Amino acid sequence: MLLDVMQAGGGFILLEDSVQCSARGLLRCFIHAALKRGEDVHVLGFESPETQVCAGLDSSSVQRLHFHKGFPDPLGWTCRSSFTVERFTSQHITQLIKDTQHAQASVLVVDSLSMVLRHHDPVVFCQTLQELRKGGVIKTIIGLLHSDLHQQGIVGIVCHLADTVISVAPADNERLSVAKTTRRTKSGKVMQEEEYFSVSEDAALSVQAKPRQPGHVQRERDVSEADPTSNLTFNLRLSEDERKAKEKVALPFVFSQQKKSALLRPTPGSGRIVYEPDANDDVDEEDPDDDLDV
Amino acid sequence: MQTVQSDFILVSDRRADASFLIHHYLSFYLRAGCKVCFLGLVQSFSHYSAVGQRLGVSLAQAREKGQLVFLEGLKESFGVLLQDTSQETQPLSYLRSPGAGLEGLFRFVESCVRQSGDGNAGESWGPPVLLIDDLSVLLSLGVSVGAILDFTLYCQATVCSELQGNMVILVRCEEEDADDDEEGSNLLQRGLVHQCNLALHVEGLPTGYCRDIHGQMEVWWRQRGETIYNQRKIFHFKVHDKGASFFARGTSSAVL
Repeated sequence: MLLDVMQAGGGFILLEDSVQCSARGLLRCFIHAALKRGEDVHVLGFESPETQVCAGLDSSSVQRLHFHKGFPDPLGWTCRSSFTVERFTSQHITQLIKDTQHAQASVLVVDSLSMVLRHHDPVVFCQTLQELRKGGVIKTIIGLLHSDLHQQGIVGIVCHLADTVISVAPADNERLSVAKTTRRTKSGKVMQEEEYFSVSEDAALSVQAKPRQPGHVQRERDVSEADPTSNLTFNLRLSEDERKAKEKVALPFVFSQQKKSALLRPTPGSGRIVYEPDANDDVDEEDPDDDLDV
Repeated sequence: MQTVQSDFILVSDRRADASFLIHHYLSFYLRAGCKVCFLGLVQSFSHYSAVGQRLGVSLAQAREKGQLVFLEGLKESFGVLLQDTSQETQPLSYLRSPGAGLEGLFRFVESCVRQSGDGNAGESWGPPVLLIDDLSVLLSLGVSVGAILDFTLYCQATVCSELQGNMVILVRCEEEDADDDEEGSNLLQRGLVHQCNLALHVEGLPTGYCRDIHGQMEVWWRQRGETIYNQRKIFHFKVHDKGASFFARGTSSAVL
């Protein structure tokens, strides 16, 4: 499903990572895939330099890539940035995209949403995202979120807004990582899939099913168990007859067929209750439940 | 621990003392001839000077030559607190208005590392190095985690990306019983791990105190240049008078 999402695009795709495993490599793959589709990609780079996010592109793709320099000055302290974090509003972004000539099917990439959330109110941030989604100017929004830097509630809110959430985690194998993709279609159906992937130097994504790891599973156990019944002063072994008799013994609390039929058969002279009413007892032969209308 | 390219090295500890790594890096970079900007927020200059003497560098001499710029947080804070007014751009302005962020401190660092270092003898220093000991103390002074992460992002952009220098930051983590979502040293450490190239985490041995092994250090290579790694290895170490020795687990001289 990961490759489908990457190649189709559309909607709000959230890449969620943590300190254990970074999703920036995957983000690069998404950017390359969008450029290969012929779409215009606008990257709001607040956390990493352009070289890290946009390395290894050919000349035709480079023209359609617009890196808006947040990094190295995302907050405007040194007046060297073209797009600061506080300009993350739907008006500014829509204007930014409209300013590019011959824009078709624009893709907006945010690196990272964590930086934006640090400086914007979560409610306003969600409103902005929703406005961008419904605005019609942007076809796809791809955001990178560091899930371990925010409260769980906030991460939940952003995931809820997304059409596709891809969480990455490390796998046992060092070369691979695990991606859990959750996709919500317009009809409300939710699909989930877990895949192993790796990203190459030139941002090519290779996905595979769970890899077999030979040599990690111990097939043979070389443990030779010692026989505990040998070398004793008493006998713990059973002869054939003894073993057969042992298997025949009916266990006391096992409800076998024999016991069941024995209980159902009324045996004479056992278990009868004889009641002798006293002089003070008021024995009424009538059925006390007779007046019930049941 | 030679670094060939510009690195952001995060040193952290939990219930242990990783400051021996700061002393090591300080003497290492001074000996390598780099211009060092040291924000010493928790100890006095004489403390580092005394340890540096044992490691073979004279901090006083380096400071006089202009190779070392030392911000003595403890001494300078009096000046800020006793003044009636303080400018926003003062390095320790966060003491008066912690909510405002660390822009003043960043400007101090920027001016220090951008100086074309010319020593008295006309020598020019190598790529700049920023050392901070330690960053988690700012949390107790009321600065938010977000402001500290913004500050380190700017430092990394200037020192590492632009000037090809190195950065070594010490952060001390606490055992927090509360939810790790709360603002605290663990959240700060996570944010810094996201930003750094190499994370060194020092802890005591999980099995308890040992006379010959002072603790374990986890080395986490996160990134080298453009390549994203994710390699972690644990080493044991022993701190000596003149440095520390590192060895693979189980190979301490006391054991072999």
